Amino acid sequence: MTDYGAVLFDPVYAELGVPAVMGTTEITVIDNIRAKPLAIVTSTGAAEVRSMGPSAFARVYELVAKGIARSTWLGATLAFNGKTWAVRSYELRGSPNGEDAGEVLFLLKEAAAS
Amino acid sequence: MTDRREEILERLVALVAAIPNIRWAQRNNPDIPDDQLPAASVFDGDEESNGDIDIGSSRPPNRPYVVRMTPEIIIAEQSNEVGSDLATLRVELIKRVLNDAALLATVGTNGNIRYLGCQTDLGWGRSLQGALQAQFTFKYPLKIEEL
Repeated sequence: MTDYGAVLFDPVYAELGVPAVMGTTEITVIDNIRAKPLAIVTSTGAAEVRSMGPSAFARVYELVAKGIARSTWLGATLAFNGKTWAVRSYELRGSPNGEDAGEVLFLLKEAAAS
Repeated sequence: MTDRREEILERLVALVAAIPNIRWAQRNNPDIPDDQLPAASVFDGDEESNGDIDIGSSRPPNRPYVVRMTPEIIIAEQSNEVGSDLATLRVELIKRVLNDAALLATVGTNGNIRYLGCQTDLGWGRSLQGALQAQFTFKYPLKIEEL
């Protein structure tokens, strides 16, 4: 079977990835911070807080290879592109080779507020 | 010339702007930037009058009215303790509105101010965000000769 990590994820990360530090371990992530209007307010929709959703993609198999266990993801710090975030949640994005051969989308929050 | 409705709304903006830690306070602005939180926005309220109680009578149209206005005040904040923060801001809001001498003077001795309640909502931005929407009703006289 095709190794989707080698033919798909690794070339994408080589092009779009940025250096990151998760805890104390260097990894590569794709900065997925998105500007979005976050409608958080009111049943009448009278107001919205304009905000953004910080997140980053990482390769699960890279994390495994570097000893970053899934049990340590939540609450871990993740620094990239000049900002330090904390992992508040995550979504697994598997590949045809299986869950551990795919990506994870880390949902982040400001580390200073943790 | 006195427009009590406008006086009340202007006073509400001044009151919420003076709540400790509020960094941004505006009127009728629905877009709150997240780097300005905690923030507050005062929205002009619906107004109802007692104009229909004597619609079939011969009383002149410029008789005194009693009106009730219900503006909405939205307070937004972001922090890991956003629930507690909003609770603190809510207490300050209620105390300041219901005890304000200027507002009480504007509604007059036959008028009144009531806190109706609030709703909350939560969401994730760059950190945990929360908002509180509070309603107050102001009952006051509408005297045509004052306008």
